[in-house]
Amino acid sequence: MEYAPILVLVISFICLLAIGTPVAWSIAISSLLTLLVSIPVLPAATTVSQRIGTGLDSFALLAIPLFILSGELMNKGGIAHRLIAFAKTLVGALPGGLALINIISAMLMGAIAGSAMAAASAMGSILGPEMEKEGYSREFGAAVNITAATTGLIIPPSNVLIVYSLASGGASIAALFLAGYIPGILTGLFLMIVASFWAKKKGYKVGKRSTLKAVLKTFVDALPSLFMLVVVIGGIVTGIFTATEASAIAVLYSFVLGMIYREITLPIMPRILLDSAGTTAIVMLLIGASMSMSWALSYENIPQEISTGLLALSDNPIVILLIINLLLLFVGIFMDMTPAVLIFTPIFLPVVTALGLDPVHFGIIMVLNLCIGLCTPPVGSVLFVGVGIAKTSIEKVVKPLLPLFIAMIIALFLVTYFPELSLWLPRQFGF
Amino acid sequence: KTDDTKTLRLGHGLDVSHSVHKAMVKMGEDLSTLSDGKLKLEIYPSQQLGTERQCLELLQIGSLDMTKVSVGVLENFAPKMKVLGLPFLFRDREHSFTVLDGPIGQQLLNEGEQYWLKGLGYYDAGSRSFYTKDKPVNTPEDLEGQKIRVMESVTAMDMVRGLGGSPTPISWGELYTALQQGVVDGAENNPPSFYLSRHYEVAKYYTLDEHTVLPDVLLAGTYLWDKLTPEEQGWLKQAVETSVVYQRKLWLEAENEALEAVEKAGVQIIRPDKTLFSDKIKDSFDKYKEDKEFYQLIKDIQATN
Amino acid sequence: MQLRKTIDKILANFLVIIMAVMVLNVLWQVASRFILGSPSSFTDELARYLMIWVGILGAAYISGRNMHVAIDVLPTRLSPPVQKRLMLIVRLLIILFCLLAMVIGGSRLVYITYVLGQNSPALQVPLAVVYGVIPISGLLIIYYKLSDILKKQ
Ligand code: NA
Ligand code: NA
Repeated sequence: MEYAPILVLVISFICLLAIGTPVAWSIAISSLLTLLVSIPVLPAATTVSQRIGTGLDSFALLAIPLFILSGELMNKGGIAHRLIAFAKTLVGALPGGLALINIISAMLMGAIAGSAMAAASAMGSILGPEMEKEGYSREFGAAVNITAATTGLIIPPSNVLIVYSLASGGASIAALFLAGYIPGILTGLFLMIVASFWAKKKGYKVGKRSTLKAVLKTFVDALPSLFMLVVVIGGIVTGIFTATEASAIAVLYSFVLGMIYREITLPIMPRILLDSAGTTAIVMLLIGASMSMSWALSYENIPQEISTGLLALSDNPIVILLIINLLLLFVGIFMDMTPAVLIFTPIFLPVVTALGLDPVHFGIIMVLNLCIGLCTPPVGSVLFVGVGIAKTSIEKVVKPLLPLFIAMIIALFLVTYFPELSLWLPRQFGF
Repeated sequence: KTDDTKTLRLGHGLDVSHSVHKAMVKMGEDLSTLSDGKLKLEIYPSQQLGTERQCLELLQIGSLDMTKVSVGVLENFAPKMKVLGLPFLFRDREHSFTVLDGPIGQQLLNEGEQYWLKGLGYYDAGSRSFYTKDKPVNTPEDLEGQKIRVMESVTAMDMVRGLGGSPTPISWGELYTALQQGVVDGAENNPPSFYLSRHYEVAKYYTLDEHTVLPDVLLAGTYLWDKLTPEEQGWLKQAVETSVVYQRKLWLEAENEALEAVEKAGVQIIRPDKTLFSDKIKDSFDKYKEDKEFYQLIKDIQATN
Repeated sequence: MQLRKTIDKILANFLVIIMAVMVLNVLWQVASRFILGSPSSFTDELARYLMIWVGILGAAYISGRNMHVAIDVLPTRLSPPVQKRLMLIVRLLIILFCLLAMVIGGSRLVYITYVLGQNSPALQVPLAVVYGVIPISGLLIIYYKLSDILKKQ
């Protein structure tokens, strides 16, 4: 095994972060240094710049800027405000009511959009400010938003599960989609329990129980805003537009509604567009830089070598699954989901199928596991989006994130060791 | 083992169960034997190093040595390659091999060199046919008003439009959901891709009109090629040759297997009168008349026996 | 600092226009397919290229405002002079990276796609134009970081 590249990568990355280099630049610089171990300087520098550029070259990523923009419009246009006023009359009297609303809406949103980043950006920009206004800490709001958003990657439709199906060379997409429902909802429930306890412990304000009249009034107020969900979901379900295109429809709808409410005017539009572009750019540079790091890792075969070494340790299924889960959790710390799925599926799948595991079950384990990685520093696209939108810092959200991580890890181990949670539903449909 | 071992890095977008990947593994073994361990092939499957277009760029940049791409992708890099994507250009499989393995195929491979790409050989990717979700396609008229997903290629879009369908470019990765949600009504690809992508779960009609033969091309960057000694170039060429023969055999098996499997999964396989389709766009080559050299190439291919 | 303000303004206006075009473009994609029944062939590609521009040009805009996410656990515990020196090192490292990867590497990428005449599949735009944003953004970031260093000393 060649040790130089991995040493360069890990050491340079840690040093750069430690002296306060912005995360995106730390990722980019240490990727370049790693490539210099085996590629001459000019091709290496060109490759890094190509990876940053083409890392953003994906139509699916487009949902991010557009949902950021529609979130901004909903905020300024009075839509979010009306929606939340209504939701508050419903569950506001429960401890952590707003956090529960955030989790439920993020699950819905992520389920529809299939993109955790879109869910995190939409909910973060709509509910974040509301939660802060109600006395929640900004960091707790961001932490809830970040973790809840990932559940949408397991609840179908999910592009990541399609990527997994391709990488596994045969797992049924329909079966994978069906298998995702129970684990996704289970994870969401666990997050709600934790958020509720945390809110109670911190003594966040519990709202008054609302009268039926108030519920009705806020419902009527929120109706046009609620109808946006119908337009977006309906459009996707009936095949009028794709999930990515839905983000543009959401922009249009929230723009028009904001104009009708007279809270959005043309003169403030440049400001809104610029703010959204700025938030987008923070996320995009991180994604581009992560793409060059993933490339450097693959090029040096670092993931393969690590896992070969680890799998030589045991032949007990429970132990192997534990090792694989720990390894994937570790991978998720540094790597984004799609490259991780593409690189590790061909390595792990033969091992687990030899142990009698169903490829569909393993797909759910893998995606749920890497969902946790999406929220862990230093590399995690959903974390970046959530932190960027809440305008807080990674180190500050770590504390409220920890209990939520534990909830996700418990869900992961249940899903790992109880295959029925994943396989029962597809089986009912004949898979 | 020794310091003079050269590692050739080959990146491609297919997964490890694909015939092309298996043939590459064999190429690596042959290369190692032929060169007595002096040349080593390192394969990166499943788009680990990027999409097909990105890998081509990496060859030109000089950080990747070899790659495999579909001719459809190559036409944006080496325009003459576009000829291979024209519909109903080849009479059958044998005809396509005669052309590709003959002087015309070689000429097209050499075409890449002015773009810093050294073409090494053609892997079989069968021929592409339509599959649809709700409406079976027996004649070109059945394509009328159906939104058919195509690759981002001008030739492919012209072809579908010429046959009466509405070409809709959507990325391959998004296609499954797009079919399921009805964003498109159908798509087109070869049997193994139809099978491995699981699109047959959604699209229940497969019309074997075999409109295009789009082979896969194996390429090296001239950045690498010029650094190899003539002896090493010889070993590589020889390993490629046996790998191509091996892959074409595997491909046939994979094609039969795929058709059997999708039929078993409830897909209705339609074997239409292909002339209905080829007649509908038989004038489509005329628009290339302006470009003398390109038009001659078409004529030469048609005249090859 | 007049120059810096002018650059900020041009950059901001540019980003606003790209964002607006991006939205209209995707809306047009839906409209052309659903209402007109003839799907547009270029919108997908245009959207992706605009995204690259927003992301990379936006990175320069964000650098000008020092808004990139950093983990500053260690630096904030050190004495102000040490903090200042670390900040200088960080800025120099960013300048070095931008010079090597974005300006030199990016220019080489632009050069390669330009001399090889590579065009995008649908729009037939030279890819050199798309990638051109990388060296431009690199130069802007270097300018911002240098001006930060000079201003602070
Ligand atoms: Na989903
Ligand atoms: Na992570």
